[in-house]
Amino acid sequence: MLRTRLLFSRSLLIGISLLFLPFVAEALTLEELAQRLDVLEAENAVLRQKVARLESQPNAAPTAAANAGLPVPTSPAATVAGGGESSTYLSSYGEIGYTRPSKQPSSSNVDVQRAVVGVTHRFDESTKMVGEWEWEHAVTSSTDTGESEVEQLYVEHTFPGGWTADAGLYLMPAGLLNQHHEPTAYYGVYRPDVDTKIIPSTWREVGLGVSRTTASGLTFEGGVTTAPNLSKWDPTSDEGRVRGPLAAIHGEGQFAASHDLAGHLSVNWRVPGALVGASVFASKVGQDQAGFLGNDSRLLLWELHGRYQPGRWDLAGEYVRGTLSHTEALNEFYLHGTTPNPTLVPALFYGGYGQAAYRAWSNDYFKIMAFARYEILNTAADYGSLVGAPATPRDERIWTLGTSLYVGDGVVLKADYRRYRNDRYPSPVPPGYTKGDSLNFGVGYSF
Amino acid sequence: MNTHNGWLWLLPVAALTTPAYATTYLTVEQAQQLMFPGQTLTSAPIKLDEAQRLTVERASGLAVPHTDFAVWRASSGGYFFLDAVIGKHELITYALGVNPDGTIKDVEILDYRESYGGEIRNAGWRTQFVQKSAADPLKLDQDIRNISGATLSSRHVTDGVRRLMAIHALLPR
Repeated sequence: MLRTRLLFSRSLLIGISLLFLPFVAEALTLEELAQRLDVLEAENAVLRQKVARLESQPNAAPTAAANAGLPVPTSPAATVAGGGESSTYLSSYGEIGYTRPSKQPSSSNVDVQRAVVGVTHRFDESTKMVGEWEWEHAVTSSTDTGESEVEQLYVEHTFPGGWTADAGLYLMPAGLLNQHHEPTAYYGVYRPDVDTKIIPSTWREVGLGVSRTTASGLTFEGGVTTAPNLSKWDPTSDEGRVRGPLAAIHGEGQFAASHDLAGHLSVNWRVPGALVGASVFASKVGQDQAGFLGNDSRLLLWELHGRYQPGRWDLAGEYVRGTLSHTEALNEFYLHGTTPNPTLVPALFYGGYGQAAYRAWSNDYFKIMAFARYEILNTAADYGSLVGAPATPRDERIWTLGTSLYVGDGVVLKADYRRYRNDRYPSPVPPGYTKGDSLNFGVGYSF
Repeated sequence: MNTHNGWLWLLPVAALTTPAYATTYLTVEQAQQLMFPGQTLTSAPIKLDEAQRLTVERASGLAVPHTDFAVWRASSGGYFFLDAVIGKHELITYALGVNPDGTIKDVEILDYRESYGGEIRNAGWRTQFVQKSAADPLKLDQDIRNISGATLSSRHVTDGVRRLMAIHALLPR
């Protein structure tokens, strides 16, 4: 059947070509026509080989390769299932960490931080879907702290000219990590605090996005998505301060309030061994909730990032700054409410880090990277013009020193030590505590 | 009659034909003309025997899971290879042009389908291969630098080029 389809397609192509031959013949010399026929004949020969091979190995490769007259592709990682014109790919990543708090070793713990399974199904050459499902902290039930969530779920269509459009739940193009968050993509057993507390990796919203990568290495991404919902802010919980303001109010596609929508725009320029980029995300975040005092609040989050990899070095930096406007009335309400020491909505939050990694040793299969990272961040750096506002916490400063042993393309073993300026000796250290000064070991994989 | 109007019939034809391979940046013929302008290319597909396959594996340090390769010989004596590797999950179709003296003439990306990492089409990345030969390491992080966020695509195309250069060493000059 495959042979019939290919032969039919080929015949149709030749037939159409012949139909239009008189129109183009006058622009071509006989010599050029002869050359083109040579190419067609050569391609046809390869195609015949391909058909024969596919018939003997029906599921060996997607038809995309056959269309180009290609040999069976080499597959270092992916699983290819199914035949015909569509194909389905399975992907996964996961990480397990051991943490030993320096001042309270009795709280040492091991956690399956996340296990993620992804499926990409390509319907045809232009359209595909991407889905990722995640379990955090191993067990999810009414009495456990684990989470089960859809991390990505979108369809993507590529248009002529290299424009790509996404629709669904997709990752925000913010910072160095959010879109490339697999354990093999960053140093340290845990993601940098800036990339979890200021940018709430893995940060996703539901919306429509477009992107284009130019031949010069510039990638533009923009879109309209759901926006965070400030009415979810809980002044009785320290979540907004400990996990970060955006982590406390983002929607994650779960009945995400969508009266107010957000816009995002990013640009990245990648050349061999270097990357510079910036992004901005802006929206109203009140979501027009009845009687809510934060309905006029607006979020503006912008960031700059860069990475430079000369020789054995891998240097990276990121700076993120977020503001929430018109929060005074809401905070005043919280201050004069019944909650003692309420967690207020910050008018300003920010963070940044510099990181240097060095390839200490490598061969064709293993690679050891040693790294140091210094972060400065503040999840509540200012409360705006709020009268009677409490003092803001001083900036958190974190040193992380460690090593990563990469095994092949997709496995990494990690070890590091983190030292915090503010959050050094939490007392008491709760079970499962993974912040504060600690020695950490981890294993992760991605394919 | 306005001579430009004579081409208007092409528009509906273009509309009918362009969506078919939206991720195709270059056709095979376009890549061939880009690398070997004005030259005649003759199809010369290769089927490696077992001994040759093992030779290529030893020379490249890579597995050679199939033995058929799409190759064209240019009238100048150069070679044009057409191959595909998997980036992270999806196929990247690329072409390698080799000069008569055995140095790399060009690498071109024909199709790129992954959601991320399309920057390997960047001329700055591809020109790292130019003038290198099978005697060079042709390895990521050694003589070929990667594209941040496209490490697997960079690595697998680099490995593919190294494998093709090992095959090229078996061909007549």
